[in-house]
Amino acid sequence: MPSRPVSHREVITALPAEPTGRPPLLMVHGIAHAAWCFAENWLPAAAAAGFPSYAVSLRGHGGSAGGRRLRRTLTRDYVHDVMQTITELPEPPVLIGHSMGAIVAQLVAERYPLRGLVLLTPAPLHSAMGDLVAIARDRPADLGRAVLGQTLSMEPEVLFEGLDPATARSYSDRTSTESPLVQWELLLPQRVGPIRCPVLVIGTPQDRLVRVADVERTARSHGVDPVWFPGMGHDVMLDTGWDGVLDTVLDFAGDLPPWGRARPQG
Amino acid sequence: MRIAVIGAGPHGLSALKALLQNGIDAQAFEREADLGGNWNYGAQTSRVYRSTHLISSKPFTQFPDFPMPDGYPDYPSHFQVKEYFTSYARHFGLVEHIRFGSEVVSVAPVGDGAIWTVTVRDRHSGDLHVEEFDGVVIANGHNWNPKVPRYPGQESFGGEIIHSADYKDADVLRGRRVLVVGAGNTGCDVAVESAQNAARTWHSTRRGYYYNPKYLMGRPSDQTADLLLALRIPLAVRRQMFKASLRFAVGDFSKFGLKKPDHRFFETHPIVNQQLVYYVGQGDITPADDVASFDEHGVTFTDGSRADVDLVVFCTGYLVTFPFLADADLHLDWHEDHPRLALQVFTSKHRNLFVSGLIQPDSGQWTLAHWQGMLIARFLEARQLRPVVADRFYADATAQSGRRFSAGTTYKDSSRHYYEVAHQDYLQSLQDAINALEVPA
Repeated sequence: MPSRPVSHREVITALPAEPTGRPPLLMVHGIAHAAWCFAENWLPAAAAAGFPSYAVSLRGHGGSAGGRRLRRTLTRDYVHDVMQTITELPEPPVLIGHSMGAIVAQLVAERYPLRGLVLLTPAPLHSAMGDLVAIARDRPADLGRAVLGQTLSMEPEVLFEGLDPATARSYSDRTSTESPLVQWELLLPQRVGPIRCPVLVIGTPQDRLVRVADVERTARSHGVDPVWFPGMGHDVMLDTGWDGVLDTVLDFAGDLPPWGRARPQG
Repeated sequence: MRIAVIGAGPHGLSALKALLQNGIDAQAFEREADLGGNWNYGAQTSRVYRSTHLISSKPFTQFPDFPMPDGYPDYPSHFQVKEYFTSYARHFGLVEHIRFGSEVVSVAPVGDGAIWTVTVRDRHSGDLHVEEFDGVVIANGHNWNPKVPRYPGQESFGGEIIHSADYKDADVLRGRRVLVVGAGNTGCDVAVESAQNAARTWHSTRRGYYYNPKYLMGRPSDQTADLLLALRIPLAVRRQMFKASLRFAVGDFSKFGLKKPDHRFFETHPIVNQQLVYYVGQGDITPADDVASFDEHGVTFTDGSRADVDLVVFCTGYLVTFPFLADADLHLDWHEDHPRLALQVFTSKHRNLFVSGLIQPDSGQWTLAHWQGMLIARFLEARQLRPVVADRFYADATAQSGRRFSAGTTYKDSSRHYYEVAHQDYLQSLQDAINALEVPA
């Protein structure tokens, strides 16, 4: 059965002063975040570098509708939201997915010919069970919350390494509630078909939500090596050093062959 | 490698996109000034009428990688459909690969057929222009060349006869005594519009049909049908469920004076029309038998009854025609009124001549259009990168030319149903074909 549409979708946009011919970037947030996490630093910086940049809030997050049905929301609803956003863009984008948003992004890439795919500290498609075990060891109380369907802890120490405590706290306070069904779905192994566009995978060794081994496995499944940013926390678009990560992403996006001009890889 | 695509309707567009997406250069030719083909309402070859809406629901009809907007209804209008194709073409940068106002007048192989010459007439200047391509995708549509029946006495008829190809809106029906011939989806639509506008309406059909509702249990009925498929309910049970649901919602069609269906569910192309039976029940439509003959004032039906009418609308379908292909029997293995194809796409006669769109699914069309385009593109890609795999695939596929995709049913009246495909069966076959091409050599 098709996903039920929501009445409003928040898409925050930052466009270059004039057209540059560079591919659009579409950013998809992770658990309990929303478009704001990209609007903070990445959107203006990417637009200044000449990339038309967009960040979408999945249903029930940020300024998008769907909060009342959040408890019944599934990952496929998020895929629907991203697909709808893509069709409103002028051309095929580079899709950037963070954490749980990386799973959504891979499910989109399976059915849509993206210009390129960027996975930031990606939640593993092959099941987050290992991460849950690690979380349980690290923060036992969190395991209980997650099992009961409450949102995983988005405390500053989980998300950030380098930020000053006040800023870290303010970002942490902006996180919201996640769909319990989506959180549970993270534990199920999912499979995607072959993805033919170029892929960039970014991770950090200090990530307290996604283990190094899982980032490596995700990268391997796309035939690439992850690019590591030591010293950063899970939220690489907000933590100190976000500009270095963005530079890597923009280098990748800027070097992509035009859509429909070159033979895709894979 | 450069491929020509004939037509910028939904199948031409999806083929063009699939080729470009897979790194194959392509050029499409469209005779009209705008894209959309049949859905380019008002253009010479468009056959949609003002009130045309989709009869399969949005999620099963759209291109899988370009969903229709959330703001569209379950069954969008042809205006929305055209808008949708336009945004698809813009999004994927197809427009710059389409030459508009360019009618393909001839397609012919050079020598052994490694190269094809395509002759195009600029409809504005009348100039002819010849170009060479490494392959051709034929996507000129099969719903534009009217199939017009002939009946005894037709010449003596004093009223007007039109084919649904020329039916644009209900103005032509207003206040007249109308006979609608044919119970396809168009015939039923026109009969309903006639019931709403004409002085009297007769609806002549060869046989009884199942008139399916657009909604079943609060869902577009094709979604309910696919839910049953997904649950792997066997055909016989699905037949009974559909029969029962119709019997419960409407009852025995013959009680309305309609003919009793002479076939089982899924054996003819589905008719989706909730209003026909309603207007029959109101007496606004008089069901009639097959037409036997015409006279000056009207028609006599095969059961001996007659009707005085002043307008006859033949909703009798279309002929498959490739006017630019001089030797269709040679190049496409023509049999009677249709080509014999493999997977409804490949011909055993040429490895670089493809047909897209020669299907009539029991569900949405453009999901299948997408995968037909992808199959053609992946085949061409494999021919370059993995020739052994491509050759083996082509030999296997064409060995099964003419295979039907009916998911276990036997279609009535095979000539009308030559292009009929059961979407689940056909989609699976396309997927298997694409997978066969992915295998490393």
